[in-house]
Amino acid sequence: MSAITSQPDALFSLTMAQAILPQLIIAFGIVLGLLLVAWRRTQQIIVCFTALVLVLALIANISLYGTSTTQVTQLLLVDANSSFALSLVLISALVALRMSYRFLKAHIEVHDEYYLLLLLVVFAAGILVTSDHFASLFLGFELLSISLVGLVGYQRESQYSVESGFKYLILSAAASSFMLLGMAFIYSVSGDMSFNANLSNAIYHQQGLGLFFQLGLLLLLSGIVFKLSLAPFHFWTPDVYQGAPTPVTLLMATVSKLAMFVVLVKCFVAQRYLLLENVQLFLISFAIISMLLGNVMALRQQNLKRLLAYSSVAHMGYLLIILIVTSEQSLAFSWQSILFYLAAYTLANLSIFMVIALLQQYSSDAPYQEDILLTDLQGLFWRAPSYGLLMILALLSLAGIPLTMGFIGKFYILSHATIAHAWWLIAILIFASAIALAYYLPIIFKILTAKANDPQHMPLKKQHLIEQALVYALVVISLFFGILPEFVNQFIHS
Amino acid sequence: MTTIPLFHVLILSSLLFVIGFIGVVARKNTLFILMSLEVMLNAVGVAFIGAGSVWQQADGQVMFILILTLAAAEVAAGLALLIRMQKRYHSLDIDLLNRMKG
Repeated sequence: MSAITSQPDALFSLTMAQAILPQLIIAFGIVLGLLLVAWRRTQQIIVCFTALVLVLALIANISLYGTSTTQVTQLLLVDANSSFALSLVLISALVALRMSYRFLKAHIEVHDEYYLLLLLVVFAAGILVTSDHFASLFLGFELLSISLVGLVGYQRESQYSVESGFKYLILSAAASSFMLLGMAFIYSVSGDMSFNANLSNAIYHQQGLGLFFQLGLLLLLSGIVFKLSLAPFHFWTPDVYQGAPTPVTLLMATVSKLAMFVVLVKCFVAQRYLLLENVQLFLISFAIISMLLGNVMALRQQNLKRLLAYSSVAHMGYLLIILIVTSEQSLAFSWQSILFYLAAYTLANLSIFMVIALLQQYSSDAPYQEDILLTDLQGLFWRAPSYGLLMILALLSLAGIPLTMGFIGKFYILSHATIAHAWWLIAILIFASAIALAYYLPIIFKILTAKANDPQHMPLKKQHLIEQALVYALVVISLFFGILPEFVNQFIHS
Repeated sequence: MTTIPLFHVLILSSLLFVIGFIGVVARKNTLFILMSLEVMLNAVGVAFIGAGSVWQQADGQVMFILILTLAAAEVAAGLALLIRMQKRYHSLDIDLLNRMKG
């Protein structure tokens, strides 16, 4: 930050403003949204406004493709990877917005603040994916956590809202203070908080400070890993997934995971922490425990949202393998594989949570169903063919069956691990995927088997046109990218 | 005037942090848990200010101001939840929040 003040002429230029245009649009949108609420409180207007902001940001972001890497002050670094991640974030947010509108429309109250919190989550993710400094990492992390706390506990009448809200608040506040203490320790030794810090004049050798540096790294890692819900820090995930309204769970499963993983890779690659043996050791143990524990715990879940929470623990474990085995030479390929896997994971989660949200309240006069159990999926394919198909495609993608994006993503992970000769990790990955099949496949069978003449399982009513269109679009997208994965890679490369 | 070595500052902040953490883990009353979270955050603030003064940079103090802002925002969200908990359960005992299991 001292460097900024010393050269005021280069503080902010037009190219920089252009590079962070999506973030600027969202930030401006939040302020305008607040003013809009003061002017007139209607659900319709605020929803249209939020959608407009997100679409504008998405257009601005896509127009950024192909521009060179831009450093925006010391805090942000915009490159092709962060642009791609931000596109994924914005698309998930648009789907979440539509589902939220459906979910909140049933109430008489006007929920403007919900949409503002949603925009704040997107804004935080936008900061995180571009951050290049501990300060921006911290700001993005906190903005994400606090606005998610608001969203998780939003549904006042739900029996779970206070519980899941409190669990998320206390644990994420503890995690962020761990992360901050880690940053403080690293800063006190290195004297620089940007990600590509020059560590040549760091003072490791002074009395005991080397120890604090190591401790700081561990604390920083555990803070980020908490947000990714990797294994020893995953306890909040199932409860919060279950207790939050489904559109919010959708946001947490896609936007928050995606942004945190991108920032983890950015931070650890730029700082070359990966070369340190202790960090490697911790990352490997996190990955192994997550893969095994996530899948084993998911086996005995009856609640669909809890099951997905445990499966997300396992998926983050798989993804961590790429980070562990990456090296200086294969960095571009690693980024590509990570973004591909994240895209596949996001698409699958969007699909599943959308179907869950649609099942929870399939018509405006039907009672709202808080828990979706696995038995509720019985014969879904025959009751509502498009939902069933979307669900099956998403589950196959999560399980990593060929002709889905998930398979290509797993294939990338395996090829990275093979190049690095990490045979143990490969063995555990394959074993864990086999366990995962034991809970994905029964769900698929359940969706396909129909119980005849059961009054509970009548065909579902027709949905609103936009939801139908979204479901069909997601089916087409997952089929298309599953069969022709090169198209995703073209987006990542550009 | 003798300067305080960085090592001592870091030890102090670690001690404060551990005290706060024990408070979060051991306390049953949610209000005290929120207070212990504040202790943890302020311990981090001590470490940042100490480091900033060693390196003769403003960064440490800037981070401290950001942390203060965060602490305020977090407590605002926490107290809002606390009021709802009091209304629903007529108690602030954290052990009452055990509806979800598995």
